[in-house]
Order: sequence, then structure tokens, then C-alpha cells
Amino acid sequence: MVAKSAGGTIDPQINYAPLYWSYYGGIYDGLVTFRKAGGVDSLVIVPDLAEAMPGVENAGKTYVFKLRKGIKFSNGKDLTTDDVVASFQRIFKVSSPTSGTWYKDIVGAKACLAKPAECTLEGGVVADKSNWTITINLTAPDGEFLDKLSMPHASILPAETVARDVGIDPIPGTGPYAFESYDPNKALIWARNPHFKEWSAEAQPDGYVDRFELDFGLTADAQVNAIINDQADVMFDQPPASRLAELGTKFPNQVHLDPQLAFWYLPLNVNLAPFDNLKARQALAHAIDLKAVINFFGGRNLATPTCQILPPGMQGYKSFCLHTKDPGSKWTAPDLEKAKQLVDESGTKGQAITILTEDGEISRNIGSYLQSLLNQIGYNANIKSISGNIHYGYIQNTNNKVQISVTQWYADYPAASDFLNVLLGCGSFREGSDSSPNISGFCDKDLQARMDKALAVGITDQAAAGELWAAIDQDMMQQVPLIPLFNPKQVTFVSKRMGNFQFSKATNTWAYTLGWVQ
Amino acid sequence: MLAALLQRVAQMLFVMFGISVLVFLIFFATPGSDPAARIAGKNAAPETLIAVRHDFGLDRPLPVQYAVMMKKLFVTQDLVSFVNRGLKVVPAIVEAAPVTLSLVFGAALFWVIGGLAVGILAAAYRDGIVDRVLMILSLTGVAIPVFWLGEMTNLVSQNRLHDTLLFSWVPALGYVPLWVDPVGWFKALLLPWLTLSLGFIGIYGRVLRANIVETYQEDFIRTARAKGISETRVLLRHALRMSLVPFVTMFGLDFGALVGGGALVTEVIFGLNGVGKLTYDSLQSLDLPVIMASVMYASFFVVLANAVVDMTYAVLDPRTRSH
Repeated sequence: MVAKSAGGTIDPQINYAPLYWSYYGGIYDGLVTFRKAGGVDSLVIVPDLAEAMPGVENAGKTYVFKLRKGIKFSNGKDLTTDDVVASFQRIFKVSSPTSGTWYKDIVGAKACLAKPAECTLEGGVVADKSNWTITINLTAPDGEFLDKLSMPHASILPAETVARDVGIDPIPGTGPYAFESYDPNKALIWARNPHFKEWSAEAQPDGYVDRFELDFGLTADAQVNAIINDQADVMFDQPPASRLAELGTKFPNQVHLDPQLAFWYLPLNVNLAPFDNLKARQALAHAIDLKAVINFFGGRNLATPTCQILPPGMQGYKSFCLHTKDPGSKWTAPDLEKAKQLVDESGTKGQAITILTEDGEISRNIGSYLQSLLNQIGYNANIKSISGNIHYGYIQNTNNKVQISVTQWYADYPAASDFLNVLLGCGSFREGSDSSPNISGFCDKDLQARMDKALAVGITDQAAAGELWAAIDQDMMQQVPLIPLFNPKQVTFVSKRMGNFQFSKATNTWAYTLGWVQ
Repeated sequence: MLAALLQRVAQMLFVMFGISVLVFLIFFATPGSDPAARIAGKNAAPETLIAVRHDFGLDRPLPVQYAVMMKKLFVTQDLVSFVNRGLKVVPAIVEAAPVTLSLVFGAALFWVIGGLAVGILAAAYRDGIVDRVLMILSLTGVAIPVFWLGEMTNLVSQNRLHDTLLFSWVPALGYVPLWVDPVGWFKALLLPWLTLSLGFIGIYGRVLRANIVETYQEDFIRTARAKGISETRVLLRHALRMSLVPFVTMFGLDFGALVGGGALVTEVIFGLNGVGKLTYDSLQSLDLPVIMASVMYASFFVVLANAVVDMTYAVLDPRTRSH
């Protein structure tokens, strides 16, 4: 397997990069996990190191897991409840990126966030050694707690793992594979875990391949060549746009196109003119030609236009489009007349707008298109592009006074709140911080209350929560705090000897332990 | 001699200090580059940012941070990357250096031999057809950007003609250590060597030709000819030797810069994980510790190469020895 460059630390409780998240699934386990399968089957959470799905008690605040017996780490050590307790403490001790956002509701987490080194989570994660049970107590019900437990940050590691970022030194895991060596300037290698015995084909099937080598340092173009020449089996990066036609015609059986739980969008700063005016926001939403925009990304095969925040396949997804020529379930065409009229009504005509894009080709092209469009409907627009490395932090920080930008969001786990609450919730708007994913600075008390309710309902009734999220999605778009553009697809190019390629929707990556090579 | 050496070392330290302060300040003055937010990951809570800031010493005053970073880089050598946390920067550079050295030494061999051949032949047959053809070819070599040439080489050898007899020997992109497989090492590096050296052969050939032609006007050449020495001997023993001074100056600067990471584009295109590639990756992710270390490494080689060049002058040109 080949990738452009290494993806950082291999500590599963710290790493937050898609590259290694793709591979942790076959190496580490949590109490629960997303089913190792392709398509919608992967969206189901199944028991992993726990024998069964947990009993939820105390109005959604207490989860009781019974640990499986006989599971060993790759260093031969038996898995016990101690390892589970220590792993949860470690999330805070190493200041895991999501410790303060995902796991903050565990009893004792507050103290752990304040003083990570002394974290005990007393009363939060309680082990009953004799009964092999783990009880997790929350301060408030969390409808997505199981999703969060299924993520790599909640991997169960040996209790004696050091309480700091291990960097390049592999930590033993419980999956069918174990890391063998890692050099960020060369390769990451992993092979079979000699102590692994399959306990659940759904959660952790035994793999087919004996050894994996992920080499770093090839450009996307070179990765394509390496696969064509049978020098590699899978490339991690997306093939460059210039090679897509060649791949599509010469190697159609080796190209996989999979819709992702993600969208490209334009965050509009609702606290700065002109987008502090609802009509100005609506005007732009009406004016955009989404068909033109997806062409910048590679056309209809690679992206689907969207008018809403939730992507297809997500809980609560109901297709709708408010800002188009004939509003209905789908985007039809732009409505420039209406846009111009809304700009007139808003009284913002002639105002200056600066669009901030990344320096990548797609973003820049979308930015240039927006510039001409904004000028056309009555604004005075210009465009600035900055390095893709600092763009995302820059547009989040309110001190930089960004009015409109082009960016994208990929779900961490398949829950509606990972889009609606993270991108537009009051809690994720932090003024003056580079970590403020609510880039629009949007905070609507009523909608926030409804999101909180949907989260609470989700604990007991996912279907009812889905209905609530669908309505929130619509009402959010009435206010246009951001303009959705399209849902992208992942293009994976594999060698001709690869078989059983399955793309997990839940983790936005291929379920690699299911694949085999001839 | 010792004084000159000490002066060189002092110069190097001064250059390195200046560069380190500049790089450090540029990093912290860039909006949106707050390392804490980048290290912590997307949507990190404010508490997490504080913890990470403290962990990495980012909450301390800038001069202290600078001093700590320099101490970790030079004294304790345990400076770790912000991105590939746990990756120690100094060993990473030490490990990447053989790749860069292999690439640059090989390319240097090609371009010195090539440059000499082109320059001498063109000067020997100056204003004739050989001279013209060589000069046109050289100019073409200089004009072709290395990134284009590299991509084209890959396109032909890895893609279009890979399955033909001509290029079926070309291995997958990447580096093979010399002591693991010498033949593999040679195969993996041959095309990168040629790619990197082509432009240099052009420049060096043209410069050398111009210098030889100029030297022919000098009195000592006239004297040599008057003594009845053969034309070939005049060219090789007298004119060439003097014309090598600018050649060596250029070579020192170019070679130092390339060993210092200047072969970045070639390394990236051919998947060679050398210092240039390391620098490229660290710039892509604004990984300050690695950027700092690779810049220090680069400046060290540039200053070192200059010192060597100065010493070579004395060997080549007897007139500089008295200075």
C-alpha cells in the first residue's frame, strides 16, 4: 500500500488522521465497534470486546458492559477489566483530541480535563473484576455515546501503556493484526497477531492477508503508476484528476467509487456584514449553480449536488432543497432573478465581500466562480487564497474576520449531530480560537434546544430522533448559516489482484481485513 | 589557516542563528498556524488545547520557547516533531541524509563529467558545428525545469513504456539502501541522477566553455603557445585549469545547497525519502521542529561547501595562494 506521507503518531488514542484511522480497525478493539462490512451494513454498532450490547440504565446515564474472556493482546497478555479502566483514564492523561468533546460526560471527566496527569475517572468507569463487568456512568445522557466508544480514541490498550503519546513505538492491540515497525519517513508495517482468535466475525473477523506494508513518499500520480505496474495494491490518496479518465477507461474494474458521509460547503459568517442579513444569505444560496460547482470537483460521477447539511445515508436524512428554482426534494436550477431581488430587499447591495479559499485547485476554482457570481448579483467581491495547511484553522478563528469561505466536513461517526451540532451548535462556537468548528458563528437557542432534545431521544428511540434531526436540518437551512455544495465520493484505485473490496460507510474507509489478494 | 577556519565556524553559527530566529518568528507570526490547535486535532475542546499547549511548552514566552527548542535540537537532541509526535527530529534527519547524499553525489558525478566534457569539447571546436549543437543542447537542458523532466521521466519509464524492453528494468519509485542491495540502489537512483544533473550539465558546460574561451586571451596562453606546446596540452593543462575556478565556485554552492535539501523536487517526484522530502513534508504540515532542524542542516552544508571552495581556489590558481 502506498501513501503520500506518514499520518503522524501511531498512538490510537491520539491520532486523528484518516490515514491511520483506516487501519486501526484491524489492530485495536473497543468495547463496541462498527460492523466490519461494506455499505449500509457497516453503520450498525456491534459488541466487540464486550460480550453483548450494554444494558442502558439510569435514564441513559449508565452503561453496563460484560467483557469477553480469553482475549489476548498481541504481546500475549490477557485482556482484563483493568485494561479497560486504564484505557479510559489514558484518553485524558494523554489529552486525546476528543477528550473534551466526546468523553466529557463521563463522571469524573471534568477533573481529568483540569488535571490530566491525575485522572482516575472515579465513579465514571467502574470495573467489577469478579463479574468481568465494566460500568460507565455519565453525568448526562448521551445518545451518541456508543458511536464515540466505537472510535479509535476509545481503543482498549494494555493497562501498562505509558501515559504519554507513544509516537512511533507501537502499542499492542487485540485485533487480528499488530504493528511491527513504524518509520514516518519510510513505512508502517503490520502483520498477524499470533495471539488472535476470532471471537466475533461481525466485530473483528480474521483477516485474509498476512502482512501489510504501507510505504510513504509517493505522489498521487506515482501511486497510480505503482498500482498499474503491480508494485502496490492500494493507494491511499485520491488519484489526480488528470488520471481519472485513463483509469475509468483502461482499468474500470480496479476503480471503486464510494459515497462518503461528507460535504463541501460555504460557511457564511452570520456575525459579519453582509451575511448577518438573512436575505443576503438566501440570495447567494439561490444564485449558486451546483451543477457548475461539481464540475470543478470532477463531475457527476465524483460528486452529488446537495442543498442540506445531512448527507445521504445519515440518520435523519430526508432529501430537500429550499433554495432553487422550484423548491422541492431536489436541486433543479439556480434562480438569479430571485437572488438579485433578495439582495435589493436586503439593502446590502454594493457591499464588499472577501472569499477565502485554500490554495488547492478545486477550492480556488470554486472561489473564482463565487467571486463572479457575487459580483453578478450586486456585491463587490474579491478572492484571497491561503495555504491549505493553515486555511482550516484560519477560517475558524473569529479574529480573522472571514466572511465566507470554501471548506469541507467529513463525519467522524455516522450521527446527525456530528454534522448539525458540531457545525452549527452553540457549544462549538468559540470566539478567538483556531478550534471552533462552528465557523459561521451561528447560535440559535431554539434550534439548540431541539438538537439537545434529539440527542436525548436518540438514547431510547433512534427512529424518533431521526425524525427530529430531519426537521432540524430543514429549519437550519431556512436560516442559511452555511451553503451546502455537494457530497463527494471516494475514489479508490486498487491492483488487479485485489479482491472483495468493501467500503465501510461508517468509517469512510475500506474494510481492509475483508480484502484479499491473489 | 586556523584563523580562517575559526572565522568560517563563526560565520556558520551566525548564519544558523539568524535563520533559526527568522524561521521561528515567521512560524509564530503566521495567523492560523497556532500549533496547539493543529496538534490537538479538529474540534478539540478549549481544555484540551490548554493541556496540549502546556505539554508542548507553547504557553511559555517566545524567547524561552526558542531557547528550549534550540537546546532540544543541539544539546539533548530529543526534539520531537509536532505532527509525527514521537518522531525525534535529529535521528530522522540523520536517517534521511544517506538518501540525499546518494542522490546528490551520483548526480554530481554525472554533472561534473558531463559539464567538463561539454565545456571542453565546445571550447576545442568553438564556433564550429559541434560547439553550436552542444550549446543548443545545453541551453535546452538548462531551460527544462527539473519537476517537468522528472514527471516526464516517470510518465515514460513508469507508465507508458514501462512494459517495453527499454524500461522494464526500472524499479518501483523509492530508495534502496546501498548496503542492502547495491544493484537495486543503482537502478533506483539512475534516472533521478540523470534528471537532477541534466540542467547542471548545461549550465556548467556553457560556463566552462565561456571561461576557456576567455582564458585563451590571457598572456600565459600566448606564452605557452609560443613555447610550442601542443594545442591539446594548452587547452587541458593551461586554459582548463584556470577556467575551473568559477566552475568550482558554482559547484561548491550548488552541491552544498543540494545536500542541504535543495534536491527537494527530485526527491518528491522520485519518492526518495531524503532530507528534501522531509523538508517538503514538514512545510506541508507546518511542522516547526522539523523545519527548524532541516534549515539548520541546510545552512550548515552551504557554509561548509563555501569553505571548501575557498580552499580549492588555492590549489587551482597559484595567484590566490599569497592572500
